[in-house]
Amino acid sequence: MEYTNANPSPVKEYILSVLARNRSGVLLRIAGLFSRRCYNILSIVAAQTENTKFSRILIVVSGDDRIIRQVDKQLSKLIDIVQVDVLPWEDAVVREHVLMKVKRTVQNSEKLVEMANVFRAKILNVEPDSMILELTGDAATINSFIELYNPYGVLKILRTGAMAMLK
Amino acid sequence: MQLTGAQIIMECLLEQGVDTVFGYPGGAVLNIYDALYEYKDKIRHIRTAHEQGAAHAADGYARASGKTGVCIATSGPGATNLVTGIATAYMDSVPMVAITGNVNLNLLGLDSFQEVDITGITMPITKHNYIVKDVHDLADILREAFQIAQSGRKGPVLVDIPKDITAHTCEYVPAEPKPLFEEPFPIEERFEQALQLLNASEKPFVYCGGGVISSGAADALNTFVDKLDAPVSCSLMCQGGFDQENPRYMGMLGMHGTNTAALAIKNCDLFVAVGTRFSDRVLCNAGLFARHCPIIQIDIDTAEFNKNIDVQLKMKGDAKEILEKLNSLLEKREHKEWMDSIAAWKKEYPLQQKGEKEDDVLPQEVLETLSRLTENSAVITTDVGQHQMWAAQFYTFRSPRQFLSSGGLGTMGYGLGAAIGAQIACPEKRVINVAGDGSFHMNCTELATAAAYNVPMIELVLNNSVLGMVRQWQKLFYGWRFSQTDLDPNTDFCKLAEAFGVKALRIAKKEDIEPVLKEALNEKGPVLIDCLISRDINVLPMVPAGASVEDPILEM
Repeated sequence: MEYTNANPSPVKEYILSVLARNRSGVLLRIAGLFSRRCYNILSIVAAQTENTKFSRILIVVSGDDRIIRQVDKQLSKLIDIVQVDVLPWEDAVVREHVLMKVKRTVQNSEKLVEMANVFRAKILNVEPDSMILELTGDAATINSFIELYNPYGVLKILRTGAMAMLK
Repeated sequence: MQLTGAQIIMECLLEQGVDTVFGYPGGAVLNIYDALYEYKDKIRHIRTAHEQGAAHAADGYARASGKTGVCIATSGPGATNLVTGIATAYMDSVPMVAITGNVNLNLLGLDSFQEVDITGITMPITKHNYIVKDVHDLADILREAFQIAQSGRKGPVLVDIPKDITAHTCEYVPAEPKPLFEEPFPIEERFEQALQLLNASEKPFVYCGGGVISSGAADALNTFVDKLDAPVSCSLMCQGGFDQENPRYMGMLGMHGTNTAALAIKNCDLFVAVGTRFSDRVLCNAGLFARHCPIIQIDIDTAEFNKNIDVQLKMKGDAKEILEKLNSLLEKREHKEWMDSIAAWKKEYPLQQKGEKEDDVLPQEVLETLSRLTENSAVITTDVGQHQMWAAQFYTFRSPRQFLSSGGLGTMGYGLGAAIGAQIACPEKRVINVAGDGSFHMNCTELATAAAYNVPMIELVLNNSVLGMVRQWQKLFYGWRFSQTDLDPNTDFCKLAEAFGVKALRIAKKEDIEPVLKEALNEKGPVLIDCLISRDINVLPMVPAGASVEDPILEM
């Protein structure tokens, strides 16, 4: 019998929910670990939890199974990290948040508002030549939202990484 | 009682049973050094010539004694000079606490004189690090630092302390050292699976790494391989973790392993790895390593499973405890045929060295003579290069903590500082640093420390006036183009040693070997031996890059 290294599984995106002690430098420790071990961070969201002694950090990583297991284990070794969970997409509610400034003209104004309503996006600000929209949703929804506005002229996009919570 | 931060540091060191520290004074640690003056009856401070030497000495002290090594440096350049030493300890999982001074709190972040962000710099090379911003946190941080350094897979922890914190006062309440973190133990099912594999094996191979030494598993290992009736190979980090006079011992495995170990891995039907991380220097080509048989890996660090190679059975926990439990479950096995073939290979492929001329001083003879004269009981430290491999190959190590070498980081210049630390940890033992002339050049300043404290260690420089290991690679893969590896005209090491106040001896010909070594071993203070060897002796066997560990080059 041949004992080979397991074939790498396809590269996928994984979402890690990391509970860390809220100490200075903890984000640097995490980011440093990713960079020196050559793991890819696609997005990262960090904030205090309901208990101010802890932070919750959500990281979207791309890699195969093997890499994700390594990320999990290496992260778990950091002293300030309390828990690491690899969230299965299907069992989690995943949300991203986007702020988008689009070009506005008198002619297309109505159309822009109509499209925002379809997505149930909020209009935060309107200027004579631009407007700022806000949307929360999963990555696919936000992607198609942005795509829809592209022909009208997108001036600026601010997008958070994914936040996720187990159902 | 109200104490200053500096006094609290002293009290916390005493809580941990620390009686020796290595370091170098400077502006940001003036208060700490003032406290060291006050506590000099309880804590001995060894001042090295350079902070890197202090870090290596603390490391050598830790490896030789099993205790946590402590080093102290000032802010800025003092702290950065520790970095190579900390990284060395990190790669080899050596428990160490490094204390650095920093500028006053209100000067942090302002590019102040001798300010450096040492916690940022050392993040990738410590298990954890701290900067203390309130004297009230100081004692607990120091206690945690020792707890982290010693728990699980051991390693260095750095505590950075701004100068004013060492002057601030607060109430000091003594405390016992914190208990080590609890480590998980494999579930019963894993032991059942292990027993199945062990009982099914007719040709088992037991391979050990540094974890055997750091967990104190040598005795349990001995029982285990007797019960299993298996041959044993050790990594560089496990030299002495298994008695090398035991007929089961096959020598090292990996890039400069023995042909016996290579043949055994080719033919075994089960590979049991204890306390080891499958470094690339052992695996050589991971895709061609023991692919025909299952692997059991015992290790305390779960991140080492399936990192460099996939294994079939993972047992996470302390090597000693796991081996002891396996010993209690395992029935005595017998593999006479297998052990006979191991013995035959050992006979057929002994490690041996040939010179170009008959009267060449051969490192093999130097080290074998040293081994005999010290009754195989000296503590040998090394630098990095050919001499390091020769020391591992030709000195006969019989017990743990006898061979101290920078395996993971491969730090040239490690050995002299480490030897000073080891000699201070073990005053009753003979300590010899086997160095090459290239490595010795890097940190030869530490001869000043050996002389100042009259540390009776021997610095044995195998001097070939070339960077021998790099030269060997240049011969093999770069068409004999010796780019920057020729060190002639070389330093006169005997004169250098004498300038430091260190006795110097020279081995220039074969007949000198035994009398000079004897003379050095009779000295009560530091001695340097300049041992002149040919520049074209190669380290063999050798597995070239990309090749399988099963096919070493035996001659070149």
